[in-house]
Amino acid sequence: MESKIKELREEAAKAVNELSKSLNDLNDVRVKYLGKKGELTSLLRGLGQISAEDRPRIGQIVNDARQEIEKIIAEKNEILKAKAMEEKLAKEKIDVTLDGRRPPHGHIHPLTYTLLEIKNIFMRMGFSVEEGPEIEKDYYNFEALNLPKDHPARDMQDSFYITEDILMRSQTSPVQARTMESHEPNSPIRMIAPGRVYRRDDYDATHSPMFTQVEGLVIDKGISFADLKGTLVNFLQQIFDKNVKVRFRPSFFPFTEPSAEVDISCVMCKGAGCRVCKGTGWLEILGSGMVHPRVLEMSGYDPKKVSGFAFGLGVERITMLKYGIDDLRLFYDNDTRLLKQF
Amino acid sequence: MQVSIKWLHDYIDFTETAEELADKLTMAGIPVENVIRADDGLDKVVTGRIEKITVHPDSDHMVITSMNVGQAEPIQIVTGASNVREGQIVPVAMIGAHLPNGMKISKGKLRGVASNGMLCSAEELKLDLTKLPEEQKIGIYILPEGTPIGIPAKEVLGLDDVILEFELTANRADCFSVFGLIREVAVLTGNEPKWPEIKVNEDNDAKTADLVRIGIDAPELCSRFSARVLKDVKIGPSPEWMQQRLEGAGIRSINNVVDVTNFVMIELGQPMHAYDYDQVAGHSLTARKAVAGENLHTLDDSSRLAKGEELVIADSEKPAGLAGVMGGLESEVTENTTSVILEAACFNGPSIRRTSRGCGLHSEASGRFERGVDVTGTIRALDRAAQLLQDMGACTVAQGIVDVYPAEKQQVYIDFTPEQINRRLGTEIPAEKMVEILEKLCFNVEAQGDGYRVTVPSWRNDCTYMEDLSEEIARIYGFDNISAGTPRGEMVQGVQSARQHFIDMLRLTLSYMGMDEELSFSFTSEAMFDKLELPADSSLRKAIPIMNPLTDEYPLVRTTLIASVLENAARNFSRKNEDLKLFDVAPVFYPKALPLTELPREVYKVAGIMSGRRNAVSWNTGNDVVDFYDAKGIIEELFSIMSIENYRVEAGEHYAMHPGKTAFFKKGKEVIAAVGELHPKIAENMGFSKKCYIFEMDVDTLMKYQSSKFKFDALPKYPAINRDLAMLVADTVSAAEIEKIISKQGGEYFKSVTLFDVYTGKQIDAGKKSMAFTMQFQSNEKTLTDAEIDEAFNRIVENLRKEFDAELRA
Repeated sequence: MESKIKELREEAAKAVNELSKSLNDLNDVRVKYLGKKGELTSLLRGLGQISAEDRPRIGQIVNDARQEIEKIIAEKNEILKAKAMEEKLAKEKIDVTLDGRRPPHGHIHPLTYTLLEIKNIFMRMGFSVEEGPEIEKDYYNFEALNLPKDHPARDMQDSFYITEDILMRSQTSPVQARTMESHEPNSPIRMIAPGRVYRRDDYDATHSPMFTQVEGLVIDKGISFADLKGTLVNFLQQIFDKNVKVRFRPSFFPFTEPSAEVDISCVMCKGAGCRVCKGTGWLEILGSGMVHPRVLEMSGYDPKKVSGFAFGLGVERITMLKYGIDDLRLFYDNDTRLLKQF
Repeated sequence: MQVSIKWLHDYIDFTETAEELADKLTMAGIPVENVIRADDGLDKVVTGRIEKITVHPDSDHMVITSMNVGQAEPIQIVTGASNVREGQIVPVAMIGAHLPNGMKISKGKLRGVASNGMLCSAEELKLDLTKLPEEQKIGIYILPEGTPIGIPAKEVLGLDDVILEFELTANRADCFSVFGLIREVAVLTGNEPKWPEIKVNEDNDAKTADLVRIGIDAPELCSRFSARVLKDVKIGPSPEWMQQRLEGAGIRSINNVVDVTNFVMIELGQPMHAYDYDQVAGHSLTARKAVAGENLHTLDDSSRLAKGEELVIADSEKPAGLAGVMGGLESEVTENTTSVILEAACFNGPSIRRTSRGCGLHSEASGRFERGVDVTGTIRALDRAAQLLQDMGACTVAQGIVDVYPAEKQQVYIDFTPEQINRRLGTEIPAEKMVEILEKLCFNVEAQGDGYRVTVPSWRNDCTYMEDLSEEIARIYGFDNISAGTPRGEMVQGVQSARQHFIDMLRLTLSYMGMDEELSFSFTSEAMFDKLELPADSSLRKAIPIMNPLTDEYPLVRTTLIASVLENAARNFSRKNEDLKLFDVAPVFYPKALPLTELPREVYKVAGIMSGRRNAVSWNTGNDVVDFYDAKGIIEELFSIMSIENYRVEAGEHYAMHPGKTAFFKKGKEVIAAVGELHPKIAENMGFSKKCYIFEMDVDTLMKYQSSKFKFDALPKYPAINRDLAMLVADTVSAAEIEKIISKQGGEYFKSVTLFDVYTGKQIDAGKKSMAFTMQFQSNEKTLTDAEIDEAFNRIVENLRKEFDAELRA
């Protein structure tokens, strides 16, 4: 009996380890030895014929054998399952270098992108964003900004006129006057006014009959030229690069006094001198100045009580310098091969 | 304005190089645009004597010269010029020279003979050919006999000067003169100017007042008119030094009298004019307004008819010149002139500006009058001009000046305190420093109370306010020396208007949905309206005309954004960018009346166009092209994102869209979006070969219906039951009509209906279509049983049958 058990055990072990090539084979082995009609089960059923004295011992041997066979089957099962998984995975291999299915996505215009950045920088500094009409009264576009008719500075910006008194605004500065008028006299203002402006310029690499400007105005008690410098340096270092150098040059605008042109160190050559900065190392980037007392007066503010600064910048120019675009016309060309780069 | 460094050096010493001076001036608000060195490229060009000429063994047009260039040994140079002779002194470009015309001189052989340099022509040296005699224009430039040998050629060619080219700002009229610039140079370099002494020896036998009559009939246009008479005038060339100064200022030499008037204009900033005394009828000159239709015959020998508003200087018969712009031809100073009337006057800037623009005549004089000249300067200018001509021995000077000056200019005073200036600048500049700066700029400063009273010099018409003084002080003190600060004040929140925010979101949302944003000009044209097939009476044709459009192509301000997206699509199609999804958010302009009497309505629109492939080209995306439902889906999704709800969609009619493929999204009677296929006629007009789908919306209308708040519905506790319903209906029946009946008859548990299949074709009778809907039923209180749905389902089927003759399919 005992030798029979031992024989069975060895036979089963061999069947498991050597003959079972698949989970199915293994199952067959399990059924053959451990199933209801299996050989070991049959032996167990035959225990009744064994003397009561030997029965516990033999029973123990049979059980041990069963447990051992179950164990090796279980071990083999793990191995075969892992192998089956491996085969399945190998079969499922795909070409992962094929392009993924992308959700559709479009692009906002590069000028919109720059404008959003500009608005965000100024809004974080507490500036509100104001608007005004694009077809504007001569009064707001020029006269309220200390540019009476026949002022030679009007030559600087040849405008599109609709009537004698109405024109397509040549700058976003009229929003200054409109904003001041809409405020309680002498109340503080911190605003920017982005928008389209129009000038009678021939369409070339650096000029366009329509372009985008951002006007800025800060008015409060005790606003100084030093504040203008601080605010604009902060803005320029945020929009370009924190290491950009900023230079203020005395200039003339009829609506500011003192007036300053603001230059940044060339973004291409870092100030060494190149084609973009015409060898000077500097790039003209915006115009600014302390608001002229006449401008404050005309809009109901008292220059003895408050002071302010104003500035104006070109969104196209900033975008061209940021991305190295050398022709302004590309912005209004709307070639999708350009649009899709932003 | 341009001026040579030599001219500046005539009146002030400084050690700065031209570039250093240019930088100082620029940083003080007197911008120097260019520093032009006439001697650029002449570094290695020296004078040399041709000692010997021998024939070239291998060439019949070249010769070999032996040149003495001041070195121990002569050098050998081969030249092809035929005008060289032994003993001549010529400019020699040595090895290493880089000539102004770009030519680099290196050691070489010409037809086998060594050549160690080049003999130069006038052209190679970039000399002004127009000033040279004919024989010097071609061939090697021959220097005068006796010219020293071996010295830099630029010294003998008069090319050692440097020109500063200014880009002056409109406020600094005073800097359009050498004297004005000298004042700036003085304050920036700290050196004292040496002003010339102006002194005239008058001939007491001839009195100007007896010789000439001067008058002003238009005092609003001419504030001062002064004149001198010169007699025994001998016309001839002006001296070389004066010609050089004028040339440096960009002015060509004419003759001594004209040159002197120009010289004084550049030196003092006072434009002048010289008349031939004998050609001035009645020996009288009057500043008056032109009579409309009067003939104006100017120096450029062109005749114009006066409009009647121009200021002219007239003799007793006719206009003798267009005041401040150009003199008259008849009274021009010529070689026969023996007596001269010199005019120095002050004309109204805006009037000169109008006249000069109206005639298209811009001169050095008109530019100065436009900006404003110093009314106190006429006498000095006349004296200076008389002095210069007298010093040349070119005239005698009649006694006295005739001066008409109806309203003397008032002195301008400005009061300021140092504290005011420092507060405006954000600085702590000491009072003494401020006074020093102002005094150096020729302002007279006197202490008064806590501050000062400043007398503004007559030439500084730009200074009226304390703020103007703050600029003078700041620019000389140096903007760089003002430290950066931060505006103080109440804490404020940076915000933008709801509409600006909405437009930003609209742009971002459309881009997230695969559309690319374009930006387009606000201009349009009748031709574009024709392409859009706009009916003659369409309100969109009522576009605002621009008085002075840039080109005839775009004379109008746009009334529709669809034209813009079509133009951009056309441009892309022409470049083979055929898969397009473009949108534009921009205003259009509706006049209330034409011509415009008040500002037009500016209405922000959103327009878009789609064409070509639905998906980017890839291995697994197919080549399906977009159709009507792609465009419509954009609107639906946009509305969903903006929480625009409870709208209706119906077939609509839009001028730019296919009549059978146009959908209107509506709220009540209001159309909030239109979407459709581009009308095939318009597509044809635009030259589009592919189908395009367009949409158009109004930003303010969208804003009115959008909701920024989300509405939360509790998640259902009980499962939903879905029922499908497939039917055959006439193909004229719209999905919306069926869905309306389903929603109406759905009963209390009805939640939603979705169309999931539409089919026409095989197995379906002509004129019919099959539509399949899935409906969802759900209760918030219990799990529904089929029985509870059956009643509603049957009612729906019954009503569809009644309403549309719908035939239920299995």
